[in-house]
Amino acid sequence: MNNKSERGTTYLNPYVSGFLLGLVLLATFYITGRGLGASGAIKSTVVTAVDAVSHSHASSSGYYSQFISDDEHPLNNFLVFEVLGVLAGAFLSGALWGRLKFKVEHSPKITSRTRLLAALSGGVLFGFGSQMGRGCTSGAALSGMAVMSTAGFITMMAIFGTGYLGAWFVRKLWI
Amino acid sequence: MKEELIISGRMNPGIDPYLNLWHWQIPIYLFLGGLAAGILFFAALYSIMGKDKEMPTTVKWAPFLVPLALTLGLGALFLDLKHKLFFWQLYTTIRLDSPMSWGAWTLMLITPLSIIWVASYVKEAIPDWKWKFAWLESFEGLVIRYRLALAWALLVLAIILGIYTGILLSAFNARPLWNTSILGPLFLVSGLSTGIAATMWMSKDPRERSRLSRIDLILIGIELFLITHLFMGFLASSAVQIEAAQLFLGGQFTVSFWVFVIVLGLLFPAVLEILELRGYHIPMAIPALAILIGGLIFRFIMVEAGQITRYLY
Repeated sequence: MNNKSERGTTYLNPYVSGFLLGLVLLATFYITGRGLGASGAIKSTVVTAVDAVSHSHASSSGYYSQFISDDEHPLNNFLVFEVLGVLAGAFLSGALWGRLKFKVEHSPKITSRTRLLAALSGGVLFGFGSQMGRGCTSGAALSGMAVMSTAGFITMMAIFGTGYLGAWFVRKLWI
Repeated sequence: MKEELIISGRMNPGIDPYLNLWHWQIPIYLFLGGLAAGILFFAALYSIMGKDKEMPTTVKWAPFLVPLALTLGLGALFLDLKHKLFFWQLYTTIRLDSPMSWGAWTLMLITPLSIIWVASYVKEAIPDWKWKFAWLESFEGLVIRYRLALAWALLVLAIILGIYTGILLSAFNARPLWNTSILGPLFLVSGLSTGIAATMWMSKDPRERSRLSRIDLILIGIELFLITHLFMGFLASSAVQIEAAQLFLGGQFTVSFWVFVIVLGLLFPAVLEILELRGYHIPMAIPALAILIGGLIFRFIMVEAGQITRYLY
């Protein structure tokens, strides 16, 4: 079941972990009545930060104002707590399998700095795109497909299709 | 001066519809006071047990945080005062039935004693250190000779300080959430746990860390036990107490309390500490930080939620 990678660290078989992730999604639907998400937590954090700096700007903006209300704090959101749980769980799993180390994983041909800059730019693009498309791989694609939503399948194809097409241009970051 | 006739507390927007007097300064102070009590308690305990060689961080180095924590905490308390220039009047009287009087006098004693304790270890930290005056040198010799007596004084004062941070709230008999005698021991145990967390984080010695970690696990267990009984007590009491407990069992503090205090502040670090004791590699900063943040949020929630609970409707 376990794959030994080059570094000698034990990873779970990807098919098994995919199946487990599906069960997590099922449990989330059962417990919370909604699916998983990741970009939503980042969005809530951004909204909170913008609101803290300038409440008037946040409430006049067409985008931010949707998430601000007087009786609900934008951070008081299931996805924020879910992401905190993901962090804690990832930490536990890393500890159990002896992978807790401070390191930047990158191709030997690039520096950590390049890798971090590339990751940041990719993250910015993905964050922007996920808000245009109303959700990311978890919230729109994974959770959407789980309830057989057409938008979920389209999102999944769009995200991974674009990923395959774009990969060729940034291949030097990895190979 | 404007004269006001107060015929009912219900005319006071700081009291009615709910108490709205204590803000961030109080929980910050309660946290720092508990942290200081926790660090000093174990420093004094291990000195008395004669283990200052085996537990150097606990006895010598972690207490360096205490004067800082107490000063910042007292600074926060000072900011909270309405009539700041009258603070010294606390020291014109001793009232055994007032927790604030107990706290004021305990702090008056423990703050200078903690500075003396730390100062007596400065030369061990910085070997070339010289005191500026000869009398300071001879005073240092005196302190080192009577360190054991000082440790006993700090041990007792640290327990009083730790309990008092809880009693300060529980003496408010008009606030059902606070008015329970469990709060004193609960705040003491939580303070001891945060003190251990800070010490563990500073310690480089694996044996010292694992000893502290084991004590911390017991403290976390006691804390969970006390919290369970806090709620069982509320739920077995009258309507106002049940309503106070409901704030945490479905009400507005449910998520913040159970997620940040219980899961991330107690259970998560406990699991990490168990893993560490079983030989897994865990960076100590993570459980320590989780306990410290959990302890801080616990005090914010207790102060905030307690002010909302009331008898009169």
